[in-house]
Amino acid sequence: MNRKWLSLGLVAASVLALIAFGVVLEPYPYWMHIAIVAFFYAILASSWSLLAGYAGQFSFGHMAFMAIGAYTAGIFGKFIRLSTAPTGICSEIPLGNTWLVFLNAIPERGTVTGQNCLELGKAHMPVGTLIYQLPAMPGIVLGIIMGGIFGFLIGLLVLRLRRTYLALFTIGFSEILRTALNAEIDITQGPNGLELAPLFPKGVHLFGYYFSSVNKVPPYYVMLALFLVSMAVMYWLAASRFGLFIRSIREDEEAAAALGVHIVRYKVLVFVVTSMIAAAAGAVQAHYITVITPNILLIMQMSLVIAMAVIGGLESLIGAAIGAIIIEFALELLRTSFTIGPIVVEMTTWRLVFFGLLLMLTLRFWNNGLIHPIIQRLTRVGWAEEAVSRRVAMAEEME
Amino acid sequence: MIKLDVNKVYKNFGGLQALAGVTFKVRGPELIGLIGPNGAGKTTLTNIMDGVYKPSSGTVYLGGHRIDTLPPYQVARAGLGRTFQVTRAFRRMTVMENLLVPAMALHPTAGRKALERRAWEVLEFLTFEHLANDYGRSLSGGQQKLLELGRLLMLDPDVIILDEPFAGVHPKLMEKIYEYIITVNAQGKAFIIISHDMDTIFTLSKRLLVLNFGELIADGDPKEVRHDPLVVEAYLGEEE
Repeated sequence: MNRKWLSLGLVAASVLALIAFGVVLEPYPYWMHIAIVAFFYAILASSWSLLAGYAGQFSFGHMAFMAIGAYTAGIFGKFIRLSTAPTGICSEIPLGNTWLVFLNAIPERGTVTGQNCLELGKAHMPVGTLIYQLPAMPGIVLGIIMGGIFGFLIGLLVLRLRRTYLALFTIGFSEILRTALNAEIDITQGPNGLELAPLFPKGVHLFGYYFSSVNKVPPYYVMLALFLVSMAVMYWLAASRFGLFIRSIREDEEAAAALGVHIVRYKVLVFVVTSMIAAAAGAVQAHYITVITPNILLIMQMSLVIAMAVIGGLESLIGAAIGAIIIEFALELLRTSFTIGPIVVEMTTWRLVFFGLLLMLTLRFWNNGLIHPIIQRLTRVGWAEEAVSRRVAMAEEME
Repeated sequence: MIKLDVNKVYKNFGGLQALAGVTFKVRGPELIGLIGPNGAGKTTLTNIMDGVYKPSSGTVYLGGHRIDTLPPYQVARAGLGRTFQVTRAFRRMTVMENLLVPAMALHPTAGRKALERRAWEVLEFLTFEHLANDYGRSLSGGQQKLLELGRLLMLDPDVIILDEPFAGVHPKLMEKIYEYIITVNAQGKAFIIISHDMDTIFTLSKRLLVLNFGELIADGDPKEVRHDPLVVEAYLGEEE
């Protein structure tokens, strides 16, 4: 019982500390930025830990789902407007007194319905017509839904694939998506990057203070909220029968099925859930950075997420998240070069070498990562005594 | 009442016929031994009854319901449980979690506490209470076999197929497994036991099925089957 309260107390204190951190870091936008990016990676690493560590699905497509969320939000912002009058040229759907206007994605050169149909339509629209971009939230929600749909499809496609084959398949999926995003310049702006509106284009009022659109405090709290919500959802799932079943699938699919576990349902479901979380992180991050390029799908980026989860602890959601936060900060702190006598150590390069070495050492000597064993040690203290007392309590209850 | 009805089951893998018209019925809580030389089709037959393989032709009914068209998880929920030749305890899950998996799959709406209570009863039956929070990987081979049996108790099937339950098990644990089978059988569960341990299988089972090259060459009282010329020729070797 004490352990439970201690854990709850630790969680509450950590959450409060993270909330307070936003106030403390406010004068330091650079570190605020690092914290936001750290939360972004913490969401990705922990959700990948649920997929790979808990369910045993070693997917290399996690960043692809993140990109699907980011690009869906971006494309939504680029091609959809609200107007108080119809354009008469664009595809549009009336919503009461306003119209949902879809800008043409593919230019039809030589016709009046060119890409910027809205600009052409303005000539016929009444004076005083208001045209505005939708806020970020619908695009983010759409991004999460798209992430879920793709997660469902990929989950179905990889049902029979295991380990190496699953990894290769998901690398293939990620590369195909990256190539498509690079190629479809009319829609995605290709390698030039797709621009997005900031999370709060007009700034935001919080607790009586005004924060401009470039201030990092609002995105800090948005990303922190997303991190906390996704952690809460994943912990709830991990502690439920869903968590038990996906772990049994990881251990032995055939044995789990022989014990009544619906393998297909839970394998697909874990892909859907983790893809949606990755997509949510991608969509929010895209609105924070305000530009996304297909380079977010480079294998290096996926490797970074995997390394964070492995170093933190593959089978621990919080271990992976803490691993991601520590590594993100450490990689920044280690940028400062130094000299040893006449030798200048260029840390911008060497920090990656150290990071690689740490990953190799972790894999070789600490299979469960560096953070997870510490957490496990803390949370398993008094386990045996507790098990006995629980059993006694149950026996008494039965009497 | 017929618990299990295996009717003219054939299974071909390409040009290889693994099973050739296997037919038998399990009537009530029988204790059946299934033997045969390596490659006779015992595991294939188990996999068909379990839903892992679909038969090329033939049917399997469990308690009057056809199960050969169902996936393994539905067969398990319908009341057929099995263990595997190589132990398949969930190694990175605790003993308690191992037991909760089938219980939660079978009772999707039941509360965790009620299922844990049942799991404690099973642990007590297996004299495993002290191991509840140990990981599957920390158990010995024999203990892992017992854990598999415990999981079957949580699944509460009508028909239990045990694939080599005594292989590589310490004699003391072997006794425990033996006891388990007798006790659970007395509670009304039918057993099909696949084993190469001839002494145990002849002592334990009340009926013996013998497979050879995918054909059921004998089905009857173990004492009679032991002297069946076909069985002697195919499997047991020269009669003493």
